[in-house]
Amino acid sequence: MNNKIKVERAVNNLTQEQLAEKVSVTRQTINAIELKKFVPSTVLALKICRVFNKSLDEVFSLEESD
Amino acid sequence: MKSLLLPHKYKLIGWVLLVPSIVAGLFFMFVTELPFSPKIWTIGYFGQEFLSQPKSPIRLDKIELIPNLISVLLLIGGLLVMFSKEKKEDEYINQIRLNSLQNSVFFNYILLFFCIIFIHGIPFFHVMIYNLFTIILIYILRFHFLIYKNAINE
Repeated sequence: MNNKIKVERAVNNLTQEQLAEKVSVTRQTINAIELKKFVPSTVLALKICRVFNKSLDEVFSLEESD
Repeated sequence: MKSLLLPHKYKLIGWVLLVPSIVAGLFFMFVTELPFSPKIWTIGYFGQEFLSQPKSPIRLDKIELIPNLISVLLLIGGLLVMFSKEKKEDEYINQIRLNSLQNSVFFNYILLFFCIIFIHGIPFFHVMIYNLFTIILIYILRFHFLIYKNAINE
C-alpha cells in the first residue's frame, strides 16, 4: 500500500515524532509506515488522516500487487 | 482489544530472573556434579518404580533443588520478558511480536526435527531438556533483534 504521509508531514510541518504523538504510536511505527514496511490498521490510518484533515484515499492508495 | 501483556515494569524483573538463570543453566551444561546438591521435599508425580517395591505414582519425595530452581526461574523470567509491554506498545510492536512468535515456533521445530534425526540415546534426553526453553529464548532473541534493527535502520 502506498502512502503520502511523508509529503503530508512536510505540508503540515510535522516531524515523525510529533505525528506519532498525535496518533499515540511510536516514531518507529510512523517510520515503518513511511518506508512501507508496515501497513497500519484502519483505525490508525483514519487517525493519521484526521491529523492531516484529509480523506483516507488522499493519503493511502492501493498498489498493483495489493 | 484486550491484551494478555503485563505492564512494562515486569520486563525488568524478567531480565533479572532470566539472565542469571541462563548463566547458571549454561554452567550446568558443563558441570553436572556439584560439590553440594541440596534436595527438597516435594509432592508430585514420580511414576511407578519398575523393579523395586511398588510405590504410589503420586507421592512425597525428594528432588534436586538447584536444577529445578534454575528451570523454574528461567521459565518465569523468560515469560515475564516475553509477555511484558514495551515502554510504548503499539500495533507495529504487536506485529513484531507475532512475527517473532511465528519464527520461534518454526525454528524450534526445525531444530527439533534435526535433533530427532541426528541425536540418539542419552544425548537426546538433553535435547528434550533444552527444548523446554528454546521457543522462549528464540522468541526473545528475534523480538529484540527486530526492534534493534528497526531502530538503527532509520
